[in-house]
Amino acid sequence: MHNFFSLFFPHENNNYRAKLLHHNVLLIIISFLFLGSFLFSNIKRNFPSVLGISVDVSSQKLLLLTNKVRGENGLPALTLDNRLSQAASNKADNMFAQNYWAHNSPDGKTPWLFIKNSGYNYVYAGENLARGFNNTEDVLKAWMASPSHRENILSQNYKDIGFTAKIGRLNGEETVLIVEEFGNQTMYQVSRARPEKEEKPTSTFAQGKVFSSNIFSNPLQKTPLINSLFISSNLDRAILIIFISALILDMIIAQKKNVVRAVGHNVDHILFLLFILFLIAVFGRGLTL
Amino acid sequence: MTIFKEVRKHVVYYASLFAILSFGFFLASIDASDKRLQMAITVMTAFFYVSWGILHHLVNHDLTLKIVVEYILIGSLGITIVLFLLKGGLGI
Repeated sequence: MHNFFSLFFPHENNNYRAKLLHHNVLLIIISFLFLGSFLFSNIKRNFPSVLGISVDVSSQKLLLLTNKVRGENGLPALTLDNRLSQAASNKADNMFAQNYWAHNSPDGKTPWLFIKNSGYNYVYAGENLARGFNNTEDVLKAWMASPSHRENILSQNYKDIGFTAKIGRLNGEETVLIVEEFGNQTMYQVSRARPEKEEKPTSTFAQGKVFSSNIFSNPLQKTPLINSLFISSNLDRAILIIFISALILDMIIAQKKNVVRAVGHNVDHILFLLFILFLIAVFGRGLTL
Repeated sequence: MTIFKEVRKHVVYYASLFAILSFGFFLASIDASDKRLQMAITVMTAFFYVSWGILHHLVNHDLTLKIVVEYILIGSLGITIVLFLLKGGLGI
């Protein structure tokens, strides 16, 4: 109990500085995090069934949730089209092969080309992309929170839909990519019609990635023994909150006791660690395009 | 000196530190798809934070080696926390 008290509260036994803020303790925590980063990375690469990112994305569930929100908005359900799913799968493969995160490939391939090549002759088409999401609900939630993706999901122009979800490396990062393709082969709902050549990717595409062998029915599921993202992000948050609390307590108590110390400004450190806390909140999030 | 008096006395310093950190956050948020770039921006922001803190103590004539080490350690703590998430968690 006394040792715990000593970690956070400055008093004569810890030289009037919270023990947690002593240089040797800081050095131990830094070494632990530094070595842990490389250890985790190594275990992930060599033993993916033990440590890795848990993923559970299913095209059937995406279809169900998409049609549910469409139904709630008074729109007819979309039909799963194998050609659009194939186009989504090819698009995801192309993104991993050419290492890009965009609607158009570096060599100028548009989403429409993948749709046409799959044998789907569209009058209207759209695409939504997502990456870094670990479950189906979060993907749809993120798309619905973005006006352009929401517009695609709730568009009256589309009748068919196809999905894919795949795991691969993009910009050096292992990630889940989810591609969602929309289409209509008729002039159905002409009120919101757009000429096929003039559609803008930002408003008509939603990106994503589908899984492995049977892209039309199998969910993308990966459940390692330990979820590395869960462990690292929560451990990071806990360490930051503990240090910010220690700095605040140390500052208040030293000030109340009028202790004169040759130490750095706690306010500086608190601001910096808050900045890191905001960063890890942003870095761990999934992305849509 | 109370915390608020301390902040008021050095308002320019704290405002500029806040601006450095906000700018770092803005840069890191621009391209959220490139985790290596995000790591580089974190390291750069930490470097500016350490330099700015040391400079402030230097101007106040209360800079000691212990203080320099403290700023370096807190800066390193921030960097390794981000590294643990990006390399250990996401696998860059």
